[in-house]
Formats: sequence, structure tokens, C-alpha cells
Amino acid sequence: MAAWSPKTTTPVLTARIPCWPHGDPKNRRIVSYDEYVRTGGYVALRKAVETMTPEQVTEEVKKSVLRGRGGAGFPTGVKWTFLPKPDANGDGGQRYLAINADESEPATFKDRLLCDFDPHLVLEGIALCCYACRIQTAYFYIRGEYHHQAAVMERAIQEAYQNGVFGKQGLLRGTRTKNRDQAWAVDCYVHRGAGAYICGEETALLESIEGKRGWPRNKPPFPAIKGLFGRPTIINNVETLAHLPFIIAQGAEAFMKQGTESSIQGAPPSYGTKLMGVSGHVNRPGVFECDLGIPLRTLIESKDYCGGMRRGKKFKGAIAGGISMGVLGPDQMDAEMDFDIGRKYNVLGLGTACPTVFDEDTDMVAVARNIARFFKHESCGQCTPCREGSGWLYQLMVKIEEGRARSKDLDLALEIATSMGTMPGTTICGLADGNNWAIRTILNKYPDEFQARVRRTFVPVGISVGAGAR
Amino acid sequence: MAWITKPSATMKVPKRAEPYLGAELKDRLTREILPRYEHKQGALIPVLHAVQHVWGWLPWQALEEVASFLELTPAQVWDTASFYEEFWLQPKGAHVIAVCRSVACEICDHKQITDACRAKLGIEPGETTDDGKFTLVELECLGLCEGAPACLVDERMHLSATPESITRAIDDLRDKPGHGHAAPH
Repeated sequence: MAAWSPKTTTPVLTARIPCWPHGDPKNRRIVSYDEYVRTGGYVALRKAVETMTPEQVTEEVKKSVLRGRGGAGFPTGVKWTFLPKPDANGDGGQRYLAINADESEPATFKDRLLCDFDPHLVLEGIALCCYACRIQTAYFYIRGEYHHQAAVMERAIQEAYQNGVFGKQGLLRGTRTKNRDQAWAVDCYVHRGAGAYICGEETALLESIEGKRGWPRNKPPFPAIKGLFGRPTIINNVETLAHLPFIIAQGAEAFMKQGTESSIQGAPPSYGTKLMGVSGHVNRPGVFECDLGIPLRTLIESKDYCGGMRRGKKFKGAIAGGISMGVLGPDQMDAEMDFDIGRKYNVLGLGTACPTVFDEDTDMVAVARNIARFFKHESCGQCTPCREGSGWLYQLMVKIEEGRARSKDLDLALEIATSMGTMPGTTICGLADGNNWAIRTILNKYPDEFQARVRRTFVPVGISVGAGAR
Repeated sequence: MAWITKPSATMKVPKRAEPYLGAELKDRLTREILPRYEHKQGALIPVLHAVQHVWGWLPWQALEEVASFLELTPAQVWDTASFYEEFWLQPKGAHVIAVCRSVACEICDHKQITDACRAKLGIEPGETTDDGKFTLVELECLGLCEGAPACLVDERMHLSATPESITRAIDDLRDKPGHGHAAPH
């Protein structure tokens, strides 16, 4: 196999945040409004507001095939077009944007980097989205544990208000826009979560902003029609929005030169760069910005990125990208990190593209038990298959790890992990499905480790002496 | 997200004369938080955060005050407050040591960090020291996986922890006042 080489040699999302191989993370600091503007910030927003109509912005994003970076990979521009059409005055009525910074998926920590150091890049993306979708209010939903990051965002939003990005005279101090004469009023608020993984699910996130327990809603109606406070709502991930300034400033074609085409006939492409947060048993864990399509092997072994496995150990497997996506087995180190990974390597999908790497000494039964506990803990309790099934799976995993299980328990575990809350239709959200994929892929890809921990269930086999023998 | 129920019929709520949600705090919340949301319930989570920030936890009386402040029923406030893990419905210590126990931290040996805290403080995860200074908890992923094993010491990230570094962090905190506590409880 030919060595993979990056197409994008200058960082896009991390232009101001030193990341290997372009800079030393030690030199990271918070980029202020002034520094952001000095280094080319808010150029895209000005361009959009002064020379493009909201529809043209949406069209450009649609053309770029920017796919959501939060896990599902849904095309962002298409999502925006689900909003109801504005009336004759160009007014869409009250609409909301909810920014999903509830990054609670174990192994995922990429959005924290953006909130931590380059908050204005995110805010410019938010402003662009608000302009394109005619949104008046944006809620930045950040997980409760990110205290520092919430404070950084809070301060950056204040700066943005002072400089006319948001506020009554918003989008750069009421510049006469291409579309209409009056100033655009845009508000942006930080809304801190309070420690619930499920609030990363888009409709649970809306419930949480409304001050209720984070219980996912049934769809339809979809949030684009009836979302936050019953109004049309767009929900986008932090990283997705952070891509917008580049797409608007440089054009969709420039974005489409990054990343990769799909290797599957007819499947949508994986354009653009992606933040990949590698953790676990590697020499240099951290966030790297790579073209989509980088092989996991390159990410782990290249000196530019992780610099090899820790203590020179062998690769045993990796979480594909957030634990709900499942696990890549020992023979899948060459998997390409793009949106096709799910179809090609028997995992759920790319997810957040944050692999946790396991070395040869990792106990996969313990990993499975840890993951099962996580889902049991974070199941919101609304749908029965997930609430009960996640508990059963955890009990089974504990039993296997402690050596109290029999081989029939493995079959039972696999049966639960194949049928519990499978989407669509049996549960409201995808949490149970994530649980299923994680446990099922581990059971299927490391069967020996589980077999070795259980006592055999003897099936008495004898000589059949006819139907009436018993 | 366990279901937490309360014995409504027999529950005795300790009440004190001084309100938890004082006039000054109410005023600030009315000015800064309430206008952000379309209806008052939307402000519930930020209000609970604000009250917890002052008192360190959410006593039942405070929840009732929040309910009347936001024109909700106490049940609605309880429903939300009991769902989210970050809201403390029992008193906690002045400082909280939260050790991450999720997959990236577990494979990087989070257990030795918990054990170091256990030995240092003489308590199990979920407990508070007798002097009320420290609470030790184990949480699911804190999103600090590149620095596994990681902890959250009060509100500060503590990356690539070692037994020594976490012991030192505990020593440093011992004589510092708890974060955001106006009064001992």
C-alpha cells in the first residue's frame, strides 16, 4: 500500500492553535478578538453579510458537502434547508440555533480544543449560520464539566457583542446586508449543561435548554420544524460550525480539495479536514487536524502525529471514534478514517473521529465492562429496552470479568447486544444502539478473551435411542 | 441517571428563616438570565447552577424557592434537579475531587489515582471527609482523554495525573476556602 500523504498542509481549524505537526501544543493560548481579526478572522462573516444573501450562503455550504462533525455525518447545508421558508418580507419568524458542545462521549475531546483556545472561530461559524438561516438566538450548550471552557466562551461572546458580531446591531454592527436594510439582531448565550451524556442527543439537548430533564423527543416533528420552545431550530456541532468561515472565505471548491472522495460507489464524499483526538496507549496523545481518509495506522505510527504505540507495544484495537461507534479489531489498523468506515470495517460509523488505542496488554473484557457501565449509567430511563437492557449487559459483563459466567451467558450478551433498542423504532434515540455496537463489536472481534473467562456449559450429548427414550 | 424518589407524605423539610435565594441573587438572575429564555422554565438550569454556586449544594428549601421564583411547581424543579448529576442534593465537601473512570482513563490506570485519593483522604468514592473539606467522586468521561488518567479538582482540569500529583493537589487545597461557598453548612 502506498504511503498516505496529507493533502492539506496548512491547518484550517487549528490555524491559531498549535497542534502537532504544525506547532507545539505548549504554545497554545486563548486567541482574543483582536488577535483573531488580525489573523484574518471575521473576514468570511463580512464577506457573507456584504456580498451574499442568506440563501447563497446556504447554497455554498450545501455545495461543499460539509458533513456534520458531531457523529452522524449528516450534510449541514441540507439540514439548513429543512427550515420553513421565510415569508415575503424575508422574515422567518423566531428561530433558534443550538450549538452542541455537550461533548460527553468517552474518548472524545476535540471540541474542547476549539472552545479552549480559539472561541472566535466558533463564534464566526455561529454568526454565519445565524445569517444563513435567519436565526435570532443561538444557545451554546456546553457540558457542565467544561467550567474553564464555558468561561472562555462567555468572555469571547462579550467581546463579540462589543464588536458588533452579536447584539441589536449585530453581524458586525448593523452593516447594511445584501438582503435587507435593517440591522440584524442576533443573540448568543452560553447554556451550561449539568452532567448528562444524553443531552448530547439533539432533542434531549433542546429539552435541557427548556429546563426539563434530558429526555429525547420522538421524531417527527423534526427540530427544524418544531424544536426549541416549539420553534424551528437548527442543531449543529461546534466543529461543523468552525468549518464555515473557511468555506465562505475560500469557497466550496477549496474545501472540496481537502479530505477524500468516497471509495464506495454512490456514497457521499468525505471532504474537508477533521479534528482527530487520539487517546490511550500511544506516545503522543492529543488532537490532530487531518484530512478525512487518513489511515489509522498513519495517525498512530507517523512521527507527525502520535509517534507510535507506547513502549513499542503491539496494536490490539481502537475505538473507532467515541465508544458508541464500536471497536476496530487487531487486523483493522489500516482503516481509513472517513465517513465510509462504518460500511467497510463493521463499526457503526466515524462518530467524532476520536480513537482510543489499545495495546496488546489491554483486557478487552474490562473494556467491555467499562463501556457497559457507562451506558447503564447514562441511559436516561425513558425507553424500557435501553433502561433494562443496559443494566443486564453490565451485569453480564461483570459476571464474565469475575469468572462467574458460563458460556451460555456469552450468547445471552450477544443476543441483548443485537436486539436491545435497535434503531429505528424500538427506542426514541440512538443511545441503546451505541451500546449495542460497542459491546457487539468487542464480543465479535475478541471472542477468545471472553471464551477464556467463562466456564463451559456442558450440553449432554449421548446416543439417541428413539423418541420415547425420555 | 437513576430515578430518585422522595417520600412526599412523610418528608420533613428543614426550614430556616433566611432564604437561599436572596433578593440580590434574584435581582441579578431577573436581569441577566430570565430575558435569555422564552419562558421561565428555560432559566431553570442556569438558576440552579447559580444557587449551587453560592451554597455548594441544593437544599430542598432552595428548590422550593426556585420553584416559586420561576413560577413552577416544586415537582418540576425536583424533576429536573434530580436528573442531572452535577446538581448536589446532599451537602458536599468544600472541595470535590472527581476522578474520571471512563475507558481511556481506565486503560491508563485511573485506579491508582482513585487509590491514592482513597489513601490520602481515608474515604471511598461518593463520601465526604468528616471535617467536610473533601468529597471524592468517580465520574464518567470528563472529556480530558488526551491527559488520561485525568481528574477534575474543583473546577480545574488535572491532566496526566499521578498518585504524587493528586496527593499534592489535595494538600494544596486543604487550607483554601471552598469554591463559591458563602457559608458553611
